[in-house]
Amino acid sequence: MIWDNTTLFSDDNPADAAFRKEVREWVDKNCPENLRDRPSRVTPPEMKPWHRKLYERGWIAPHWPKEAGGMGATLEQQLILFEEISRIGAPTPFPHGLNFFGPILIHAGTPEQKAKHCPGILSGEVTWCQGYSEAGAGSDLASLKTRAVLAGDHFIVNGHKLWTTNGHYADWMFALVRTDAEAKPRHAGISLILIDLKSPGVTVKPIKTIRGDAEFAEEFFDDVRVPRENLIGPLNGGWKLATMLLGGERFATGHPRNAAILLNRARQVARVTGADADPAFRQQLAALEIDLLAFTAYYRHGAALHGLGKVPDSMTPVMKLAAGPLAQAASEFLVQVAGPAGASLADMDIHGEAVNPAEDLFEMRRVTVGGGANEIQRGILAKRTLDLPS
Amino acid sequence: MEPILDEQQSLMRETAVRLCKDHGGPKRARALRNAATEMDVPAWMELVRSGWLSAAVSEDAGGMGKGMLDVCLALEESGRQLLMVPFAEVAAVAHILGKIGARAENQLRAIQQGLQILVPALPQEGWGNVGSALPLARSEGGQWFLDGTIKHVPFAQTAQSYFVAAKRSSRKKAGGEIMLCAVLKHLVKLHTVQNVDGSTSSELVMEGSLVEESQVMARGGEAQALLDTLRDLLAITTGAALVGVSSQALDMTLDYIKYRQQFGKALGSFQALQHRVADCFVDIELNRSLVYRVAASYDAGQGHPAMAAAVKARTSRVALSVTRDALQLHGAIGYTDEHDIGLYYKRAIALAALYGNDINQTARFSALTV
Repeated sequence: MIWDNTTLFSDDNPADAAFRKEVREWVDKNCPENLRDRPSRVTPPEMKPWHRKLYERGWIAPHWPKEAGGMGATLEQQLILFEEISRIGAPTPFPHGLNFFGPILIHAGTPEQKAKHCPGILSGEVTWCQGYSEAGAGSDLASLKTRAVLAGDHFIVNGHKLWTTNGHYADWMFALVRTDAEAKPRHAGISLILIDLKSPGVTVKPIKTIRGDAEFAEEFFDDVRVPRENLIGPLNGGWKLATMLLGGERFATGHPRNAAILLNRARQVARVTGADADPAFRQQLAALEIDLLAFTAYYRHGAALHGLGKVPDSMTPVMKLAAGPLAQAASEFLVQVAGPAGASLADMDIHGEAVNPAEDLFEMRRVTVGGGANEIQRGILAKRTLDLPS
Repeated sequence: MEPILDEQQSLMRETAVRLCKDHGGPKRARALRNAATEMDVPAWMELVRSGWLSAAVSEDAGGMGKGMLDVCLALEESGRQLLMVPFAEVAAVAHILGKIGARAENQLRAIQQGLQILVPALPQEGWGNVGSALPLARSEGGQWFLDGTIKHVPFAQTAQSYFVAAKRSSRKKAGGEIMLCAVLKHLVKLHTVQNVDGSTSSELVMEGSLVEESQVMARGGEAQALLDTLRDLLAITTGAALVGVSSQALDMTLDYIKYRQQFGKALGSFQALQHRVADCFVDIELNRSLVYRVAASYDAGQGHPAMAAAVKARTSRVALSVTRDALQLHGAIGYTDEHDIGLYYKRAIALAALYGNDINQTARFSALTV
């Protein structure tokens, strides 16, 4: 029996299996070669043609309802699309518009707001970024200070946003801003507004990451005028919208495929470096594969419960606490297996395929920090699930 | 997360929760240990009455046709309440016998009715990786005679017979084929020692132990395949019990740190402790899903031996680390014999060591997934 760590516990019904086959063939035929298995980051301009292809095929927003221009797909179909796109090492489209903002817009936007913004998100014409974090508001997001003061039919925005992925490529930002400085608790004074980044008073500066590329940026807002109609949901009602978990979004970020790909890469590298002859290598690989199997079981279990509407609150933090460290351990293992080449800026040539262990290592550092650091997730579990006192 | 069950399975689980609570628990486990009692007979009779042994046997073979998922649900509860019964063993053997058909019919009926306890006696060292020499079987006048020693057999004193894999000694070729047979207890010598948790470990010595032809269950390729499956099932069932042990140890620890005050507040309010128990919770949650999924895969005929190895490796690893953390968070009281948390630590040690520990099973997983 062949062990394939990318298809563990997948239980497609016949219709899903047919869909998987269709997606697999189409992705293989249509994904641009230069985007596959890339060690370096894909930028938004590079992503656009691929985004467009998926859009034209009708597969760009599987989780959006049909009336909003999505597929209205089941979670199983959403997972199949994700799995088949990543199977050949193709990138999944950026999530900020499609997965983060889109569901909020569909849920809370006015008909006019939806008509204005949904088409650009779907077609990929408009690049979005998420303006949540600030210098003084990371894990403690509710302490954010960027102010939006209502003056007639406009908000006047002043402040600073930080760690904004793709901020220097983005056309628009959906931002959490403080609209009531006196509110208690603090998150009751926060609103969600849309900022056109081409507005006067906006300054965007890219930030070089530990990986060496500019993944994110910071934005300075200096008396930026934002029309009142760019408010999403009620005034001072932004926190609830931003922290709401909509649909199957939580399944997209923690997919076990990320770790599986890294472990398979480690196997390939080990064959070239000769590390695979070492019993210590094999034992460590097996221990990681076992963790991957356990996490995959949890993931599939969660997906099945999602279909039944029975997902417990603990699933999101558990998934994050399991997926992140596992992917990181896999990337660290890959670096070990590469030996001296693990420290190199240059790509390794593994049977004609470029592999850069250090790039993977750095890339994986973000997963336990972004979207609520793992320490925050542990606190959430301790208080909400394990019922421990403050 | 809760398993996804049909109505019958939910009922089975409710029954298991009640049965294990009523008949098990730390107090009972302690009494059995102190009295050096190998098996809890009343608890065993109760679970036989509740039809647990039929759960592992297919309808075709006269059972209730459920499967390993049901068995694992019951074992999770059994582990939680420290039941001292050979259910993981007998259920795995019953499942195997159910696949054999007519030759095993009588044995299987006796097991399901609670008239016979048949436990596997398989070499434990390295759990199939290294040094697992099987006893030898020689044929004389239509009968078989077994020679060899098998170490670390659990529940050997209570069992009426043992499910043994032996190698036929052959003059023609080296090695020879494998056979599976039932060996009666009074035909072997036992040397029994107690384990840390009060369970027992017996060395089973066979010197020309007689096996009638009717007690030979399978031979050759069939025997090897059944032996492999039996090993997988033992890993899975014991893994399920380990999830129960881990989960209960964590629950007891949570209760303790909510109640115990130091520095004027509950221990559970300290972040260092909160993060530690959160990590324990994550580890256990993943294992619970792993056991459910792997058991269901076996029930669907899609099991893979590497899955079974993964279950035993990870449930052993996590049970040891969770019960160790549980002890630590209990402070000095956790170091006493009087406190129940130590019973969970010791049960974790005993079950982790059986049927391949973390290291054995991880190596096995590696060999199976090359």
